[in-house]
Amino acid sequence: MSLQSSQSEKGDVVLRVEDLGRTYGAVIALQNVTLDIQRGTIHGLLGENGAGKSTLVGLISGQRKPTSGTIYLNGKPIEHADVKSMEHAGVFLVTQEPMIVDHLDAAENLMLGIWPSSKGFVNWRTLRADAARMLEGTGIDPRMRADKLDAVARRKLNILRAMFSGGNVIILDEPTTSLDADDRTELFGFMRRLKAEGVTFIFISHYNDEILEICDAVSVLRDSRLAGGTKDMSTMTSEALSELVLGRGLDLFQRKRQDFGVESARIEIRDVAAQGVRLEALDLHPGEIVGFTGLPGSGAKELARALFGLIPSSSGSISLGGTQGTRLPGHPTEAFDRGIAFLSDDRRRDGLVGQMSIDQNLSLSSLSRLSKLNFIDFGEIRSISARYFELMGIKAPGGDVQVDTLSGGNQQKVCLGRVMATEPRLLILDEPTRGIDVGVKQDVLRIIDDLASRGVAVVIVSTDIDEICRSVDRVCVFAGGDVVEEITGADITNQRLRQRQTA
Amino acid sequence: MSNSSATLSGSPPGSGKSTTGRNVLAWVLHNVVWIWLVALVVLFGLFNQFFFTVFNLQNVMVQATVLGMLGLAVALPLMVAEIDLSIPANLGFSSAIGALAYSELGLPWFLAMLVGVGVGTLIGFFNGLCITKLRMVSLIQTLAMMIILEGALLAITQGRTITNLSDGYVWIGQATVGGWPIMPVVFIAAIVVVGIMLRRTVLGRSIYAVGGNATAANSAGIRVDRVKIAAFTIAGCLAGLGGFLLASWQMAITSSQGSSYLLYAIAAPIIGGISVFGGRGNVIGVLGGVLLLTVIQVGLAIVNVPSFYVGMIGGFMIFIAVAIDAIRVRYFG
Ligand SMILES: Nc1ncnc2c1ncn2[C@@H]1O[C@H](COP(=O)(O)OP(=O)(O)OP(=O)(O)O)[C@@H](O)[C@H]1O
Ligand SMILES: [Mg+2]
Repeated sequence: MSLQSSQSEKGDVVLRVEDLGRTYGAVIALQNVTLDIQRGTIHGLLGENGAGKSTLVGLISGQRKPTSGTIYLNGKPIEHADVKSMEHAGVFLVTQEPMIVDHLDAAENLMLGIWPSSKGFVNWRTLRADAARMLEGTGIDPRMRADKLDAVARRKLNILRAMFSGGNVIILDEPTTSLDADDRTELFGFMRRLKAEGVTFIFISHYNDEILEICDAVSVLRDSRLAGGTKDMSTMTSEALSELVLGRGLDLFQRKRQDFGVESARIEIRDVAAQGVRLEALDLHPGEIVGFTGLPGSGAKELARALFGLIPSSSGSISLGGTQGTRLPGHPTEAFDRGIAFLSDDRRRDGLVGQMSIDQNLSLSSLSRLSKLNFIDFGEIRSISARYFELMGIKAPGGDVQVDTLSGGNQQKVCLGRVMATEPRLLILDEPTRGIDVGVKQDVLRIIDDLASRGVAVVIVSTDIDEICRSVDRVCVFAGGDVVEEITGADITNQRLRQRQTA
Repeated sequence: MSNSSATLSGSPPGSGKSTTGRNVLAWVLHNVVWIWLVALVVLFGLFNQFFFTVFNLQNVMVQATVLGMLGLAVALPLMVAEIDLSIPANLGFSSAIGALAYSELGLPWFLAMLVGVGVGTLIGFFNGLCITKLRMVSLIQTLAMMIILEGALLAITQGRTITNLSDGYVWIGQATVGGWPIMPVVFIAAIVVVGIMLRRTVLGRSIYAVGGNATAANSAGIRVDRVKIAAFTIAGCLAGLGGFLLASWQMAITSSQGSSYLLYAIAAPIIGGISVFGGRGNVIGVLGGVLLLTVIQVGLAIVNVPSFYVGMIGGFMIFIAVAIDAIRVRYFG
């Protein structure tokens, strides 16, 4: 295979892993992976959810210890590596989930562990100046406490930290999830500049277009093993990538768009005022799938949260199908009771209870419905959990597995299953397929489509243009807290949406 | 998604033996409290035959009762990732109120007892309010509450010991059936009730969820504040009941009743696997922790360890239990 480069090229190999393996008890996360990464290239790493991508880069970056095999950096074997020593050697990892210290501000998070210092004392002035320079043009306030930042900003902090680290091997584990087109372009520009300076990248993504755009070589993991790859990207196509990843062809989903016009049964949202939202009127129809797009701060995400009672609204009403309009819910509990469900875009922060099992997470939002006089009906819970475990195609030995140990994409499926299990009338999904692999993504879009056909109104907030195009009936473009444009029917195209996003 | 099961359940070739070895080790470490408990019982028994007598067993059970009520009470706030240091002080103060309701107000003993338990419950409720609605830090708020309650008890008793308790009030602490004390029955009942609450009710699930990730629990439709208040309130109620039992058993309420329990009441649930970071543990673990501490105390008293060494040796034994548990968490999660 082309991946195992010949000895003569060894001089160009900056990183080599040999026969690398990692197990967790009885679970094999990675086995027999041998791989060379050429210096000054962007090396794509692909694979289904749970294939072992994060595990592999976790081992390379010193986050976890391999159970077998060796890692060579610049030809020298690395022993007893930890994150600190690997960063010292120039290897930086941006993890799949934002790694943020909540009560520190943005600037301090940027400089975490790489504080400019002399004789052990942190040089605050340099730190502040450097951070300000790094954050220039990102719209992130360096003094803002990290827990007040949204998911995208938290993501960016980690990426920027690696970009400015001066490292020579930078590993990005799904960096682009929930970034919009502009951010992506900027990130790629950054990567190309650094690459020209000889920096090597390992780039993990479930988006084929990104891989095709930026990668010089790819390797594919499947079921914990290396399943293939190529060093010649010139003839690569999206279909071929999908086939490499899945081991079979990919059947892309496309929803049959419907025009709901002005039907009688409507979900009417009126006069919503909340932080970042100033919406006059918006109607949704049962059975309709509506996409919300807009730049960060445009009000799309904020409206989604306000409708669910996660951020307080000073005014606003919602009527769900023919009923009198009532005040927006004041708390998620109320929202669920009224049939409004919401999926957050940051699963780690407010999507999952990591130390609980898959089953417990799946049923968490449905507890009151699945109990009598406060006593849980375990039979019901088991059947609901089993149903959504199956439906979402969660890859795990069983429902009693702790959610923390799942791969990122599988955690996302658990989140999604939890909100769907509440059997809502209005389902609001913020980045529903974040981190989900190409194959399962189509399954998820099909499930959402199916839900809609049974009368659920679905809102998808997404920066993934392709996903929006494939799955919605109507797109609401947000700016300044309100809907500024509605796109319907045949007008919903990749091109049109991309225009809107970069405008 | 295709052949995932092969990867997930299959073990690496030729590693079957080490996997079993690992499983045994995992099992041992998971049950370290109980194994340590059995080991100590045997050890103390070897040193002094008296340790194996029925009388001593009864003694352990009675001693474990009050500590057990306190351990359960401390466990609940810990499970929602908070802490309540005022629980032993609550026990002393609320029992004194109960006693005064009988001696000063002339209430029947049963009503007076209920007043005491009610006061304990209210204190727990109040702590919960302070921590959720006022966003006070539980460590400090309950520390202040502890100091207030200890001071209040001293003020009420004027430094004297309350001994004029009614016969009905002290009955449960003294009564025996066929020679066996019935006081431990209350503790067993409390374990069962709290255990069922944690395992089978929506509140119980919510407690684990809030302790595991409060932000996620909130987004999942759980009213985090209410769950925390409930945890503190139930803890206060258990402290009140514990106060009644202790007074009934000792037939007296000293001016510092309960305060000596503080460290043990916190150590017991943590030794038993209740995480100080919330969201983990169960009542059986608390029971194990309580029994372990009680056996150490009673055992050291029975074996002829010079009294100057008792504290130190007891401390070491607890240290070992916690260290082994830390190793378990580190290697087996
Ligand atoms: N701490 C752990 N304990 C048990 N199993 C684990 C642990 N961490 C990872 N695994 C398992 O290892 C396998 C590989 O996970 P990994 O996170 O590397 O997948 P991934 O390729 O990054 O997937 P995704 O695209 O979903 O992020 C999964 O089956 C996962 O459940
Ligand atoms: Mg991953």
